[in-house]
Amino acid sequence: MGRLKVGIIGCGNIFHLAHKNALKNLKEVKVVACMDIKKKKAKEAAKEFNAKPYTNLDEFLDLDLDVVEILTPTYTHAELAIKALKSGKHVIIEKPIALTSEEAQKMIKTAEKEGLWLLVGHTRRFDKRWVQIKEVIKKRNILPVQIRKAEVQRLPFPETAWYWKPNKGGGVAIDLGVHVTDFLRWYFESEPVKILGIGKAIRKEAKVNGTYDHFLMMIQFEGGKTGLAEVSWAYSYPARYGVFYHHLDILGKNGRIRYTPLDTPVVGVVKSHFEMPRFSPLLSAFPEAFETELKHFFKVIIGEEEPLITAKDALIALQMTEVAIESAKREEPLEFKGVVE
Amino acid sequence: MINVGIISYAHPHALRYGTTFASNPKAKLYAISGDGANADVAKTEAQKMKAKFYQNYEALLKEKKVDAVYIAIETYRHKEVAIRAAEEGKHILLEKPIALTLEDADEIIKAAKKAGVKLMVPFNPRFTTPLRKAKAMIEAGEIGELEYIYSISEYVKPPIFLEGLDMSWFLDIKKAGGGGFMDTAPHGVDSLLWLTNSEPKSVYADIGSKIYGFPVDDIGTAVLRFKNGVMAVLNAGWGNPKGYAYGLEIKYYILGKEGFLDIRTAYPDFTVYQDRAEKIYWERADVNGIVGSFLESIIEDKEPPITGEIAKKNLEIILAAYESSKTGKVIKL
Repeated sequence: MGRLKVGIIGCGNIFHLAHKNALKNLKEVKVVACMDIKKKKAKEAAKEFNAKPYTNLDEFLDLDLDVVEILTPTYTHAELAIKALKSGKHVIIEKPIALTSEEAQKMIKTAEKEGLWLLVGHTRRFDKRWVQIKEVIKKRNILPVQIRKAEVQRLPFPETAWYWKPNKGGGVAIDLGVHVTDFLRWYFESEPVKILGIGKAIRKEAKVNGTYDHFLMMIQFEGGKTGLAEVSWAYSYPARYGVFYHHLDILGKNGRIRYTPLDTPVVGVVKSHFEMPRFSPLLSAFPEAFETELKHFFKVIIGEEEPLITAKDALIALQMTEVAIESAKREEPLEFKGVVE
Repeated sequence: MINVGIISYAHPHALRYGTTFASNPKAKLYAISGDGANADVAKTEAQKMKAKFYQNYEALLKEKKVDAVYIAIETYRHKEVAIRAAEEGKHILLEKPIALTLEDADEIIKAAKKAGVKLMVPFNPRFTTPLRKAKAMIEAGEIGELEYIYSISEYVKPPIFLEGLDMSWFLDIKKAGGGGFMDTAPHGVDSLLWLTNSEPKSVYADIGSKIYGFPVDDIGTAVLRFKNGVMAVLNAGWGNPKGYAYGLEIKYYILGKEGFLDIRTAYPDFTVYQDRAEKIYWERADVNGIVGSFLESIIEDKEPPITGEIAKKNLEIILAAYESSKTGKVIKL
């Protein structure tokens, strides 16, 4: 089999931050087309791969592509993924799978109907830190009963950015929330039964957009296990901790494992002028996680590996955040009813 | 000079309070009674510190020279002993939690008021240097409006690991009122009340016997919403393995609108690495602070920093957390 022909939709933030370099390193695939509604962005991206730039979706989907990577803002996921699937392409899509679980279910149904893969980039599952901690839990029989995972940062985007818009990105509860809900399910290896969400709008950017920028979920899993998910765009952390912060605290019947921002390898940079160290390339685990993830997804597509995370997992991660948001509104815990087929 | 009596060594804190009272220039450790668990330890400590020893607290309370008592008896006997101490006109430093029920707490508070004696309940973290510094920074507006606090309040190992002391009553719900959460969460709750200058309007919690299979709970998690809008999470209990470096772990992450405070530990430590890692606390300002302010409230005839009412509020929150865990509902306070 020749190299998989890949087309990119969305040549913005996450493309430049992660996918661009990962794709360049993967010899199994060839990026042949880059699409963005902004011509300049499509051209810039295409140049990186000697690919062709597109601004028109139909023209792009008429191409002979094996895989389409969708790296656009969350609210566009469903429409783009469904169109790509219907035109016969496998789809790799950034997390969250979609803005709503209804949309996500339609995407999954379409993929099933077309007999194509829909693979969602829950990159934490491929990050060597979390993979190794998971292995240690197994090897040492830690048996977790309580896990706290926090993913917090100060989002460096202005209030006009789609991240802050409830109807475009869903706010921090969804955008980072799905990382942590999926993480907890992955680590506990059991299903959520009850969720309490509580949220705040701390920064002006969140307040003017009517969204949360600090969100907490207490998730009770089968077997009396408790997960605490904290996600925030409102943190001000000193730079020595890096720019994106993970806390992990696992308490098990046979031990405790803890990871803090101080355990993240960061090379400190101090410059004579102030510069927001946006997404530091010095956080070592991040680029590699994307590369591992994409490599795995391409192997799934060519039939060499079984997916480590399915679209259904991504759907459940999203549903958990939806239940948490509803819980926050009602100020009471809600039962998690699971995937509606 | 305040003459102090210690009633019971059932609670292991008595060991530290004993030496702290003994070394305070304003106090004399005058007498010790051996009620409840660890009567033998009480007797040995009395000999060591040249205090009078009584088999039971009634005899100690009859001692006219005793001005104040520190009560470290099993929680279920707090009401009985504290009321008798008040009746005998002794000022009272009463181990936490104040009592098993809010009704009992009321009776204790009422008895102290009626007798005109001071009543204080010790919650340690607010007497530590890092937390006092954090409080001062919050009040100076250094991190802007307070938004969120994550706190860990854990005695790292379950009490069965404390050697030389009989702590079986900690695993008896009738005597202790609960397990790891009841034992450790009151400290976290007190610091939340103190740092926020507010009270929770609701609590949601999950508390259980999850690790050791004790007849009482070992760990718990509580989510609290405060009246002033602050959100807080508290992890408390005895959940840690024997090899864990901390013996006592009190941590806070405090998020304000304009800044963030990272209190890695309220008890400054260094680490010794041998077969395993061990934290040694090089400063324990807390017990000195508690003892000092208790004595000061007596000498200067003023309200102690942690009153019976504050301790009752604390218990109300703890009991609401247990209620939430039992019913699976958010409990409004």
